[in-house]
Amino acid sequence: MKIQTLEIEEVLSRLVTSGNGLTEEEARRRLSEFGFNEIKEIKKKPLPLKFFTQLTHFLAIILWIGAGLAFLSEYLRPGEGMLTLGFAIVSVIFINAIFTFVQEYRAEKALDELKKLLPFFVSVIRDGKKKEIHAREVVPGDLILVSAGDKIPADARIIESVALKVNNAPLTGESEPMIRDKRIFLGEFIESPNIAFAGTTVLSGSGKAVVFVTGMRTEFGRIAHLTGTVEAGLSPLQKEIVKVTRVVAFISAIMGIAFFAIGYLIGRTFWENYLFAIGIIVANVPEGLLPTVTLSLAMGSQRMAKKKALIKTLTSVETLGSVTVICTDKTGTITQNKMEVKRTWTADGREQTTDSLLKIASLCNDAEFIDGEYRGEPTETALLKYSREKIGDLRSERMSEIPFDSDRKRMTTVNIILPGFSFLKENSGGLVAFTKGAMEGILPLCTHILINEEKIPINENLREESINAYHSLMDTGLRVLTFAYKEIIPPYPPLAKGGMGGFVVEEIENNMVFAGLIGLEDPPRPEVPEAIKKCQDAGIKVIMITGDGSRTALAISREIGLVKGIPVIIEGDEFLMMSDREIIKNLSEKEIIFARMTPKHKMRVVSILKEEGERVAVTGDGVNDAPALKKADIGIAMGITGTDVAKEASDMVLLDDNFATIVNAVEEGRGVYENIRKFVSYIFSSNIPEIVPYLSYVLLRIPLPLTIMQILAVDLGTDMLPALALGAEKPTEELMKRPPRDPKERLLNLKLVNRAYFFLGPIEAVAGLFGFFYVLKVGGWKWGEMLSPDNLIYMQATTACLTAIVITQIANVFACRSFKESVFSIGLFSNRLIFAGIAFEIVLQLFIVYHPWGNKIFSTAPIASGIWLLLIPFAVILFLSEEMRKLISRRYLTPSPPSPLRGEDRGGG
Amino acid sequence: MYRKILTAVNEHLNSEITARYAMNLARICDAKLYLCFIAERGLPSASLENAEEAMRRIFIEASKMDLRAETITETGDPVRMVSEIVRHEGIDIVFASTRREDVEKRFFAGTVARRLLLTLTSSVALVRVVHIGRIHPKEILVPLKARIDHVEERAYFTAKIAQAFSSKTLLFHAPKPLSRFFHGEIHLSPLEWEKKLPDDIYHFMEHLRRYRVIHDGRMVPGVTGRTITIEASSKRHDLIIMGASERSLLSSILKGNPVEDVLRDTPCDLIILRPGHEDTDS
Repeated sequence: MKIQTLEIEEVLSRLVTSGNGLTEEEARRRLSEFGFNEIKEIKKKPLPLKFFTQLTHFLAIILWIGAGLAFLSEYLRPGEGMLTLGFAIVSVIFINAIFTFVQEYRAEKALDELKKLLPFFVSVIRDGKKKEIHAREVVPGDLILVSAGDKIPADARIIESVALKVNNAPLTGESEPMIRDKRIFLGEFIESPNIAFAGTTVLSGSGKAVVFVTGMRTEFGRIAHLTGTVEAGLSPLQKEIVKVTRVVAFISAIMGIAFFAIGYLIGRTFWENYLFAIGIIVANVPEGLLPTVTLSLAMGSQRMAKKKALIKTLTSVETLGSVTVICTDKTGTITQNKMEVKRTWTADGREQTTDSLLKIASLCNDAEFIDGEYRGEPTETALLKYSREKIGDLRSERMSEIPFDSDRKRMTTVNIILPGFSFLKENSGGLVAFTKGAMEGILPLCTHILINEEKIPINENLREESINAYHSLMDTGLRVLTFAYKEIIPPYPPLAKGGMGGFVVEEIENNMVFAGLIGLEDPPRPEVPEAIKKCQDAGIKVIMITGDGSRTALAISREIGLVKGIPVIIEGDEFLMMSDREIIKNLSEKEIIFARMTPKHKMRVVSILKEEGERVAVTGDGVNDAPALKKADIGIAMGITGTDVAKEASDMVLLDDNFATIVNAVEEGRGVYENIRKFVSYIFSSNIPEIVPYLSYVLLRIPLPLTIMQILAVDLGTDMLPALALGAEKPTEELMKRPPRDPKERLLNLKLVNRAYFFLGPIEAVAGLFGFFYVLKVGGWKWGEMLSPDNLIYMQATTACLTAIVITQIANVFACRSFKESVFSIGLFSNRLIFAGIAFEIVLQLFIVYHPWGNKIFSTAPIASGIWLLLIPFAVILFLSEEMRKLISRRYLTPSPPSPLRGEDRGGG
Repeated sequence: MYRKILTAVNEHLNSEITARYAMNLARICDAKLYLCFIAERGLPSASLENAEEAMRRIFIEASKMDLRAETITETGDPVRMVSEIVRHEGIDIVFASTRREDVEKRFFAGTVARRLLLTLTSSVALVRVVHIGRIHPKEILVPLKARIDHVEERAYFTAKIAQAFSSKTLLFHAPKPLSRFFHGEIHLSPLEWEKKLPDDIYHFMEHLRRYRVIHDGRMVPGVTGRTITIEASSKRHDLIIMGASERSLLSSILKGNPVEDVLRDTPCDLIILRPGHEDTDS
């Protein structure tokens, strides 16, 4: 039993109030117990704490340890440059933290948008008198007075109404005016016509209602609560980065401990082992990874914006690429939302009857033709346009109306008709009721059918014929409306303008004459079939969730290629009756359509899909889509038709409301992930030439070939822009022919690690050590001789090692542009940013090697140009070796024919 | 189990709604109902009148339901007086509505509700009334911990409330998400989670089956309090029944307190049950 099912007296009694409203004292008491009628912010993590989190995640902790060790070294052995190193590492932590914090810091405006929808002042009756109070002071039991233009302050049961119509769009997304009256209603609470919901607007008429719930417990508050609390969790990429950092930390710790022990056993001093520990941490940790990922995502979001997909959360760029299911609306997203009359049907097929049908379509219509333009809702406009073109302008005074109502599925008007206008052979003018709507809402009201300008009693044959015609029109993908009329026999009730104008609904909507059918087409967007095919090739399941009937939805689905076999079709009523398990079972079917659904059902579909491990993108435009948009991995709001609340709750806004744009964005997202893998390969390759010098230092008893600051010069300097350039690689066509990335597939998988650590990295390490030893040898160094850090030969040797790494990384950036394809086949010059990155890399290296400031910061010394030339062959060897590996991989390791199976490894080749 | 049910009435509307839960429980348990109003000293006369009016209305409603009802009006400290009545009359369960202070004070320390929970020897059902529009709860959400004490009484209470309102019951468990060091968070489907259902919840379900109460189950990993309110909100439950928190103040500060979280953000009425009857097999 709920409040909509009670008689007015019972409602007042339950709420312990009366027709005189509450007393001021009781209102105060209730305010103190129930609190203010307002939308509250859900408690969130304070901003400083959010920033603090960025300084204390796993990667940051490893770096803090590194910095701590550096500061300790400075304290123990001052003047060896460890202070600079400590500060450098701390800077890295802060740079990473600021990058990520800025990315995550987005003002959550969804609640602010919701708050704007509630009114400031309302009229209430208290102590038997009308007064204006602040909306936040409204309490359960208050009697509120509403009239046209007012916003409803809280959920309230109607106890009096005069032609009261409200707009529930902020709550339900359905923009048709809804009648509110006091009669009891036994159906669902949310669909009850005797309840005015908070946040909705009074369109016309007036009424009195008793408030039964306020603030966050209203339906509106429920949406705010869900919007504020539902969290999508970490994005797949964020999860992967967490895993990568943990693996890296583990490797660092094991190496640090193992070689510390080895160093101790072979007689290295504590200081040497200690230095080694710091070096290993700094060399292993990919300091540049987070900023590079962030910048790469930012570039991806810019490319998407050019394709009319506005990304709000950076990580969503990559998440898009991993979606396995897209739940999409139909109207406006799949279709153009441009209604056009395509077919008409009457029982006799005669022109006069069709004209009568069009007269009803023209008069029972809220669209207008003003100044050469049609204005109104797309369906209404299409009907008016078609009628005007066929039978010209019609004028008739509308005396009363019952607006369209999604529960009644029809609208009715009562018009004054002049003699000579009527549909029958004999007529004298008068009042005529016109009705249009869904077949199931109108045919039961009809007792006659219009044939040859005569009212013929409708028999079973004619009824069946009409239903068959209705179905056959729907089967062609048309939205079909049924039209009927009734001549009202005098005496008329005292007429009044507006609302029902003195008529009783039940007395008008009976014994009607069935006039015919009109089929309207909302054509699919031309680019949608191609986009659907792309999704199918890419293994992404597309689920249409529409308010239209199942036949129309099915026909459109067939037209765009979404459905090829016999799909599972679930209608809204059926959906409500189903358990989660039944829905899961149906969702596992290959083709599924949800028809006659309202936006409020979306959240359940999305939740179930997510619980089943799918990565879900969902479209939405209404306020009550907001929780589903938040819950989905990717919430997609419509830029043109979407409400501000939906846009704020979403991760992506479609500037053109077009389904094809989603698919383009998915393609871009997949490309971004692929690019992240490329630069992870690139960054990890340089870890080996950074680690090997330390191992050599410990194991071979040689001077340290690469200082920690020089490692940072590579990780945070020379590598950055080329890595970013890899992030700008364009997605290849092949990307959308693969299934979505398996959630179990790792960013740092074994193949990628093998390629970076055991193939590319060692070549770079050999180059580095060659450069180092070459300079030492030329300088007269003897094996076992230790050199001081400021020894010129030593500084030149470390500079040569660093230069070797930089030169081989230049070749590596080309090598990492693809995993299997030859660089020549993807176009050597197809990514010009690579060359810009390389130019930057070379300039920075020249600065480090030849500028006094560079020398001072990085403990380098200028080297002869001949050394550069000596090192270039290593770059050539790396490049050619990788091309050879790719050739072997293509020829002998690629499965033939290529199979788009989920989980196919696309790792390091 | 419940032969004598007491409901505390005061000048606030909440207590009247709370009394309706008590009345319906009394009806289904064929228990005697005690309507009890304890006037604190210095209570304004208007409040006194309001409370007496409420007592009268509830008594009439109880009579219409053919309940054996008795009214008790006393003056003094509410907690002490109720405690005395409970001992004297042998009350099995006390219904009391939460006050705003219970929601505003952290861990509702020092509030009447907390004192009732700590002092009374009987079972206690604290009712937080937030939605007067849902008069008879049709969908009840019952969040359960992995380890449940007083399983019999909890199941009995849930079953009787469900029977009283012919409600559907959803048993809900919000475990911590699974994670591994290198793997991070591990996703399990609802069916996989079900295999990990704790034994106590199975026992609870067995009891419900014994009472022939229609129930369903669901496990959603996450932060307990928030996951419960999201579930209640998104599925439009009408009532939540959950156990009183057994966490100490320190534990609540360190680990949070799901009961307090739900109390603050519940989208529907909430009953917090502190059972007082020992299990027969314990």
